[in-house]
Parts: sequence; structure tokens; C-alpha cells
Amino acid sequence: MAVEPTALALLALPSTLALKRYAAIESLLDMQNPNGGWPAFSGDDEHGSGYTGLAVYALGQCGESGMPTKRAVRWLLRSRGRESYWLWKWKFRTTDRRVRFDPNKFGWPWMPETVSWVFPTAYSLLALKRAHAASHQRLLEFRILRGVEMLYDRICPGGGWNAGNGVVYGSPLTPHADATAVALLALLGESPNDSITASLDWLERRAETLRAPWSLAWTVLALHAFGRSTQSLIGRLCVVAEPAEIRDCATLSAVCLGLGCGSGPNAFGAEE
Amino acid sequence: MTVGGKTLLADPLRLAASAAATALLNKPRYRIVRGRPRSRAAIVRAESYSQNLGEVLRHGLDLFHLDVRGKTVLLKPNLVDYIPGSHVNTHPLLVSAAVECFRRLGAGAVVVGEGPGHRRDTELILFESGMADALRQQTARFVDLNRDELVATPLLADYTNLKHLWLPRTVLEADFVVSMPKVKTHHWSGVTLSMKNMFGVVPGEKYGWPKNILHWKGIDRSILDICATAPVDLVIADAIVAMEGNGPLSGKARPLNQIVLADDPVAADATCARLMGLDPDKIVHIRAGAQFLGNSSCERIDQLGEPVRPPVPAFQLLPEFEYLREMNSLERKA
Repeated sequence: MAVEPTALALLALPSTLALKRYAAIESLLDMQNPNGGWPAFSGDDEHGSGYTGLAVYALGQCGESGMPTKRAVRWLLRSRGRESYWLWKWKFRTTDRRVRFDPNKFGWPWMPETVSWVFPTAYSLLALKRAHAASHQRLLEFRILRGVEMLYDRICPGGGWNAGNGVVYGSPLTPHADATAVALLALLGESPNDSITASLDWLERRAETLRAPWSLAWTVLALHAFGRSTQSLIGRLCVVAEPAEIRDCATLSAVCLGLGCGSGPNAFGAEE
Repeated sequence: MTVGGKTLLADPLRLAASAAATALLNKPRYRIVRGRPRSRAAIVRAESYSQNLGEVLRHGLDLFHLDVRGKTVLLKPNLVDYIPGSHVNTHPLLVSAAVECFRRLGAGAVVVGEGPGHRRDTELILFESGMADALRQQTARFVDLNRDELVATPLLADYTNLKHLWLPRTVLEADFVVSMPKVKTHHWSGVTLSMKNMFGVVPGEKYGWPKNILHWKGIDRSILDICATAPVDLVIADAIVAMEGNGPLSGKARPLNQIVLADDPVAADATCARLMGLDPDKIVHIRAGAQFLGNSSCERIDQLGEPVRPPVPAFQLLPEFEYLREMNSLERKA
């Protein structure tokens, strides 16, 4: 059992399926590491992974804000991309400048001892923007600020995000729809700005030819959250996402969440 | 301090780091020897992707007298991203031809598997690159190695200190693994060929997108640990249109009109390097791999098919990889 599909399934399950939701919550809580983070999957090592933010977010959306999520928030506050440490900052400023980025602006890695990437940073921001850390409130605000700065820093020229490298050796890299969508969802509530507008515009253009369920579902969620038109995209998602042909639970859950935007609230919508 | 956009500290430090890495890689750190007295490599001509690649490939495979009857064959193409108009992936028609050939050779099952390292949406790459259509026409099964069932696997070499990697069951249970790289330059490792292509068996579900821990542990070191642990039985390298310059994503297409086959990944990569006009002994993972994973020396490779001809004009390289170029005879004498 893996954390990301379980967390997305928890978000996608309707409140009428209370027992299934309860089972998903129990599964997530069972997988939590003693240090507060979540592994990538059941049986994985216990250092923690970039899916922790999503697990916290999903539990929070279901009203689970007890000790497990508090411990997870503390883990998120401790976890940070390797570029934030002085030695690696120095390395990236002096000897390793092939990828354009500012190591002062850091977020969260996929796994310890690696640098920040867009998906884990966006998942962590989604969680922390809704979290409270009574004794660490300033640290929480600092990490949110740095995480938001990191996303803006790693943006592709012209808008949108990929895994987290906008420019390598002076060559601009292309954005990805799923990473762009999840980054935008993490930036929901930030002051409107050119980066967000350019990324939304890019995502709308990219959506015209998208047919892959995972990317299309995330695109619907992001455009819907920012008030852009999604009706035709939801229609296309209905056509391309045949549940029997989707083999992984994460994609199926994302599709359900995307389709849900047509008739109900967006699971990644407005902040509380 | 910078001069002309270059950091003065950078070059000496990079050279020192490179020298240290090279020295360390020269120390044997493997628990298994997959090398053999001699290896075979074949270069077959393929003018384009439109001609009958099945015929061309069958001709190449015949040179190896393979016995894959009843075996589960895993084809591992390089499917890294989809960039319209750019040759970043192993061409779907070559993968399709390989599926057909191995079925004709009597394989029990032919599976295509890949775990893209940059994009999370594998299905999108399959659709947009044309790979999904090609595989559908062959009714070939595709396994997303980023999301396959995982098995904690002790590493059979210790260059990274990782001790173990979680690897996909599909890879571990395959009887015959075929690495099908796109022949490209690479902005971190100089080249990406059949050995680097095996990064794709490391699952993103566990290690993220990109599989950044492998970069931090050292790309050359990671290549050696992965190739020791997940052995490659055959290589079919797509050099019909290769990539030069700022690969693996932003380089330029470079037609070589060739397919390289080999029964040893080190021999395959050494041959591809020579086709690119590079000295395989200057590529760290090829040189270190020649100690225990195969043969890089011309004297130990039976060259089948066409001879190795260096490219004209020379392959474009990023400035920091210019040193990889193979010296010509005049330069050697000098």
C-alpha cells in the first residue's frame, strides 16, 4: 500500500462512504513513521518522504487534526531541501551552476539528503497553509514563505513548472501540466501576480491537447480552483478516463477529484 | 569572483572533484563479476525510422544466435519525456520492431517497461510520443516501472553506499533484459547509453521525480551499482537519429543511421561512444564498468556488421565534456 494513492483516495471518497473513508484514514495512520513523517509506501524505510504533506492535507480535510498530524507538521518543519544547508548553498553558488536556481529559496525534497522539488514542496505547502503550530508559528510562517519563494524561483520561463528545473545550461525546459497544476494549487491564496497568471494561461493552452487522465485531472482541479472555465475539460476527462482501464489508484482518485469539480466543491479549493 | 561569466573557483574545484571521483572509481567495489573474455557488438545500417525496421533488426539479432525461447523478455527503452519535434526517446517503431523480433525468436512473453525520471505522468509520455499506439498495434504489455510492485534488493556493487535499492518486481523476474537506449549526450554524465538507461528501473514512487538521490550519490557510481544488480543481457541502441550538444533533453538531433547491438552493456556503450567520436576510457562509468560488467577495449570486442566510423562532422559536446573526444592518430603522435 502506498501513501499518495491512499491520501488521494481519502480525498476522493464521498462522505456517504464513511466506512471506506475510515479505512483509508486508518491505513494512513498505520503507515505513519515514528518520527512523524510518512514513508512512500508500507514497508519503506522510516526516514520520511515527499508524500507527507499530502497525507497531512488529506487527513486535515477529513477533520483529523489530532496528535498524528501535529507530529507530521513538526516533521515537515524539520524537513528541507539539501540546498538550504550552507555547504550546498556554497556549492551551488560557486562550482555547480548548471541549473539556474537560488539555493536561498528552498522547499521540500522527495527523500532526505536531496534537494527541493515541485511536487513535495506543493504538497507540503498545501498542508502547512492549513496547519497550526502553536509553539512553532514563526517557523511555520517562515517555511511557507520560503516554500512559496522556491516555487516562484523554479518556474519555467513563460510560466508553468516541471519537476523543478526551469533552465539548465541556459536552455529553458518545458513545463509539465501536473506539476504546474499542483504548484498553482499550493499558491492559491497568494497575491495575484504575473507568474500565476502566466502559469494559468500556459495550463489552459496545454489543456487543449491533454488526454492523459492524471495530468488532465490535476489541470481541472487547478483551473477550477482559480475560477477558470473547466466545463469542456471535465467533459473530456469523462471520455478519456475509463475507470476499468485506469490501473493505478492515484490516477483514479485524481480523476474522481477532477470530475467532482463539475458538481461539488474542489478538494483543493479555497483555503479554510 | 567571476570573470566573463565563469567562476574562477569552479574549474580547479571541478577538476579536483573529478580526479577524486575517478581515483575512487578505480578501486574495485563489486561483489559480482559479469565480465567475460570476449563480447560481441554489431552495427547495422538503418537509413530512417520509416523503412522496415523489423527486417533490419532481425538481421542484426541473427548475428547473436540468441536463445530466448520461453523466456520473459523485458525491453527497457529510454522514454524520458515528450518534447514535440525532438528526438529524446527511443523511437516507438524500433521498440515495436524489437517486440516483433523477440516474439519470432520464441520468447514466452515480451514486456516493455520504463520508469521515466523527469515526468510523473508516464501515460502522457506514452500517448504523446506515439509509444502507446506502437505497443497497442503489437498488443504488447507496458509496465510503468515507477509504480510497479517493489522489492528491497541488496546492491551487488558498493559505489554509492546505498546498500540496497527498491527495484520493480518486473525487472527482477525478467529472464532476459534488453536495454534500448537512445544514443545521446548528457549534461551531467557526458553520455547516456545502455548503462545510464538503467536509471529507468529505479522507481519514482520511492525515489521521486527526478531520482535525485542517484545524482547526489554520483551518477557514475549509481550506474555501476544499478548495472551490477539489474544485469543487462542485450543492448539495442537507437542511433538512427542520435542527440548531440545539451542532451538528454535540449540537444540537437544528429542522424547516425545506425542501430548498435551488443551482448554486453559496456561493449555497447564503448561502441556507441566511438561512433560519437568519444574515447570510452575517458567516460568514468564505462572505464569502471570494464573492470567487472563487460569489455570496453576494441581488442576484446568482436565487431560484427559495419565497422566503427567516427562521425563527420564531430559530435557537438558541452564545453566541459570536450575532453571526452577520442584523439585521432595525428593527435596521438603529437
